[in-house]
Amino acid sequence: MTKEEIEIKDPKDVLRPRPWPVTPPATLEEAKEIYRKRGPEALDYVVWLEEILGYEKRFTKPEALTGIRVLDVGIWRLSNAFCSSLLAELGAEVIKIEPPTGDPLRYLTPFGREEYMLRDNVKGELCGLEFIHEMRNKYSVTLNLEHPEGRELFKKLIPQVDIVIENYPPGYFDQLGIGYRQLSKINPRLIYCWIGILGQWGPMKDRVSKFGQWMLEPFGQVACSFVHNTGYPPDFLPRGSGGDPTRSGAYIADLVAGEQAAVNILAALWYRDEVSGKGQFIEVTAAEALMEILDFDISWYAFNRSIKARTGSWDPNLNQYAWNPCKDGYMMIGGQSDRLWYRIGMCISRDFPQFERLISEDPLLKEMAARNALEALIKTYTLTTMWLRNITRDQAEEKLMEYEIAAGPLQYLDEVAEYYHFKYRKYIDIIEDEYYGPILYCTPPLAYQHRTPARVKWLGRPLGIDNEHIYSKYLGIGPTQLRELKEKGII
Amino acid sequence: MREKVKPEIKFEDIPGPEELELEKMPFEEYCRKIFDPKKTFEKPEALKGIRWLSCTMYIFTPHSVSNLAELGAECIKIEMPRVGDPMRHTSPFNEAYLYPLHDTRPLTGTGLGFMNANLNEYFITLDYHRPEAREIVYNLVRMSDGLTECYRPGTFYRWGIGYKQLMEINPRFIYVWGGGFGYGPKVFGGSYDILGQAQGGLASITGFHEDFGGHPVKHTNWVIDWYSGTMITVGILAALYWRRKTGLGTMIEFSQVHCSTRACGYGIPLYGRFGIVRQRWGNWDTQLCVHGIIRTGKSDYPDDPNPQLREEARYVMVSAFQDQDFRELCYVIGRPDLWEKYKTHKERLKPEAQMEIYGALEQWAADKTRSEVVEILTNAGLLAMPVMNDKEVYECQHFRERGTIRWIEDPIFGDVLVQGGFSVGMLSETPRRVRWVWRPVGADNIRVYHELLGYPISKIKEWYEKGII
Amino acid sequence: MTLTEIIWCKYCNTVNYLDPYTFWNWKGKVKCAGCDRVYYVHIIQGFYYEGPKEMPPGEPYDIMPLYADKPLDGYERFRPGTPGKTRPYTCLPREIYLGKADVVKFSIRGRPVRGWAPQPPSSGLAGSQGFKWDIEKLAPDVWKEYQVKLRKGEVREW
Repeated sequence: MTKEEIEIKDPKDVLRPRPWPVTPPATLEEAKEIYRKRGPEALDYVVWLEEILGYEKRFTKPEALTGIRVLDVGIWRLSNAFCSSLLAELGAEVIKIEPPTGDPLRYLTPFGREEYMLRDNVKGELCGLEFIHEMRNKYSVTLNLEHPEGRELFKKLIPQVDIVIENYPPGYFDQLGIGYRQLSKINPRLIYCWIGILGQWGPMKDRVSKFGQWMLEPFGQVACSFVHNTGYPPDFLPRGSGGDPTRSGAYIADLVAGEQAAVNILAALWYRDEVSGKGQFIEVTAAEALMEILDFDISWYAFNRSIKARTGSWDPNLNQYAWNPCKDGYMMIGGQSDRLWYRIGMCISRDFPQFERLISEDPLLKEMAARNALEALIKTYTLTTMWLRNITRDQAEEKLMEYEIAAGPLQYLDEVAEYYHFKYRKYIDIIEDEYYGPILYCTPPLAYQHRTPARVKWLGRPLGIDNEHIYSKYLGIGPTQLRELKEKGII
Repeated sequence: MREKVKPEIKFEDIPGPEELELEKMPFEEYCRKIFDPKKTFEKPEALKGIRWLSCTMYIFTPHSVSNLAELGAECIKIEMPRVGDPMRHTSPFNEAYLYPLHDTRPLTGTGLGFMNANLNEYFITLDYHRPEAREIVYNLVRMSDGLTECYRPGTFYRWGIGYKQLMEINPRFIYVWGGGFGYGPKVFGGSYDILGQAQGGLASITGFHEDFGGHPVKHTNWVIDWYSGTMITVGILAALYWRRKTGLGTMIEFSQVHCSTRACGYGIPLYGRFGIVRQRWGNWDTQLCVHGIIRTGKSDYPDDPNPQLREEARYVMVSAFQDQDFRELCYVIGRPDLWEKYKTHKERLKPEAQMEIYGALEQWAADKTRSEVVEILTNAGLLAMPVMNDKEVYECQHFRERGTIRWIEDPIFGDVLVQGGFSVGMLSETPRRVRWVWRPVGADNIRVYHELLGYPISKIKEWYEKGII
Repeated sequence: MTLTEIIWCKYCNTVNYLDPYTFWNWKGKVKCAGCDRVYYVHIIQGFYYEGPKEMPPGEPYDIMPLYADKPLDGYERFRPGTPGKTRPYTCLPREIYLGKADVVKFSIRGRPVRGWAPQPPSSGLAGSQGFKWDIEKLAPDVWKEYQVKLRKGEVREW
């Protein structure tokens, strides 16, 4: 590795690509040593698995959704982008139709810092990383749907596509004449999916502000009681320092809605091609998708009027199941069953004998269900943290893994990028994109399949770069006509 | 010659067939009609004819199958005899259980933690360790489209029912393995949702910033379990679709910790290209301002005995990031100077600006209740919403009308509330539905072993006595 | 090794648990739950910078522990919110805290739900069950109570 000297006069001077990986990942031989520890059968099997599922082989295999064509007309939110990413990674052809000024998500960047945006090498336009990370395998086409001729072009595309995903305020597309009611007349096989925050109908349906501002995540998290139930109790941290209902750091309701939309779209696709020959109208909302996976919280209220409360980084349903502060960060330890409970005791007591005594002798903590009581959680985690205070995450992980306890360090994103297992298996990879250069990104979790793995072919796309390609391919519009349309403001 | 003038007949006034009515009615009414929650059970199911085996535990892998079950697939859950899925023993503060679990354990119930992961499924028991189990599994596999399992890699293989063996038995079979890590040095590591949140990076971006005295906080639900489970379902449906063309099954190996990193958005490219490690930013947003959750002075229910209502019902989500909205917000809270100072979005987004703006907002709200704040902002045309709690979600007319919150009469357990379920996929032709929340351990042993697989009752009795099922 | 996170009061042999997040960076005086002794601690990033230092009796204190127990007395417990001994835990899901299985026979809208044990045996061979909870047969008292509720109009749609 070559050394380079830099003079730091400005924070921007340290904005340089980081080498990745810093240390090379383990080799197959080193991994085999670990597989071997569980016996020759385990070794055989996992090695065979690596052969048939290996990430490196993904481009040598077919794609599951080849031949499916998707139009993603949504803007602003991550839900439609994530949904079409999932479909695109699995092989569908996804055309992202953006207004001529682009999807507003392109221009978002953390703290407004343009130095965190990437410039493409064709048009020289800046694009935010959130947009680029989610713009996987999709074509970027501009089209002005506010213009009647733009809508005509849109309608001409409809007979040639299978799926339309949109997220405009309720009824907007219907009003413009390109809603499900109208498009299904043109193409009865069309599957039309609307992904929003609260809904297209109902007393609290999606709305825009007086000035036309859209409703974005985390309204979804707020409406389904996720935010109310997340965070530290004021008994642990003061309000304003974390003892408040807290939102997720990610736009989680959007992501959950996006993937449920993908599930519903694929189910509708299956139904169309197996049974009915017809498409349908699908509605998915962020609030409802997150509510479905909010464990049992609303059902608990309906059971005995309990309103779920915040428990910080602890879980009220299992013990041990939390992370607690340790010497160099936070360490997560999990283990609910008796077997794991006593193993945790054995592990910690090697360094801290009092733990075993105070835990094992206590009649309150004998029965698994009883360990979920609040006082049991307080005692257990207080004692666990006494041990954690003196060791680092690495040390704790090593000790706990010896006892086969599910434990993991709380990692920041640079540590995630360097974690030995993730490097081996390529949770994170670098793609050499044709327009943006090398980008570090998170690979699709569905990339490990025997026959049709998901894959990322390109990441990010300059605005409208595929206009010529797509319009010529689907609508026979040549470059001259395209220029005219652009001048009229239709493209 | 005078012409007779025919009165003009408007199209909207002509009575027509129902399809025409659907064309003419206002959009909201149209949506209410085609997504009508009352008509759910009159409509067909998307995945009718698919049979799936759920050899799963906890939430992650079961949820990948319960999505299929909500869509109409026939799913069979296989549990350990008498004990069942360990998730049955989770319950908030040990307080909420439904009974029975199994007649041999009359005092043990199934905790509400088991909810939503195994809906609509048929529950059987089987002890895979016994030699008889192998042939039983083969028979089930021949009759099914796929299975999902979550055991340590190599375990099913050792038992003779790994992908390598099942591929031969049923070439159309789709085999799904879900776990923490997948192949690689940590392949045998156990995993939980909370481990995924911690190790994948999602926890490092959630919670209040260190400089404010905050710590990373756990999402209240087992989000990595649930959200990864659904992503597996996407893979399953894609594999099913591909199988129509080729007739081939496949294996999907899925790591849930991977999904945690996937949710981190711009954090990874930001580190790779610029070396910046994304930190927590509390209840504010890193990319939009104003777009965050503020604390108001008074709760909406100051006298309620329940502390969640009395103390906690006082947070509001406010969103006014476009220039005009932000200007209006500044005037509403009596701080036009903030508008003068931060006229562009870029200016407002700076961390110091955000601290000043949200500080001003909370100062303005400090003498008001939550509903007052929401009312004032909404009347000004801005977007604001109270942070709702479980009771308010239950009482929300919006969710009731849409069928998101729905009481069902569970056949075994009685009156239970379903959250989400039906509405997580409103499909106009093949809506999702929930029939029952779960069933006791082994409730469908006869139904599956005798009625589906054809084993005689005496055999099933023998197995039960020997502890094989 | 200095025992952080707990204060084991030698006078009454009560172990006072100082919960990890509250006391991560904390300075002040903690009262023992089992007796009236007060201890001064100054904790920085989880480690004792100072203390636990015993204060003279009668010293005013800043905080009480959330939970304490007595290992030498069969683990007698001082649950959160015991007046004079432990500070209350306010962030509870409702005004009642049980810490054990609740007995629920009717949902909040007044219809029977099977939330209590023991239930009479109801399965067939190998645990098999049908699709009906025969309330009249298996829980006749709940059935009777339900009829009374229906008559009184206490059973609601929501």
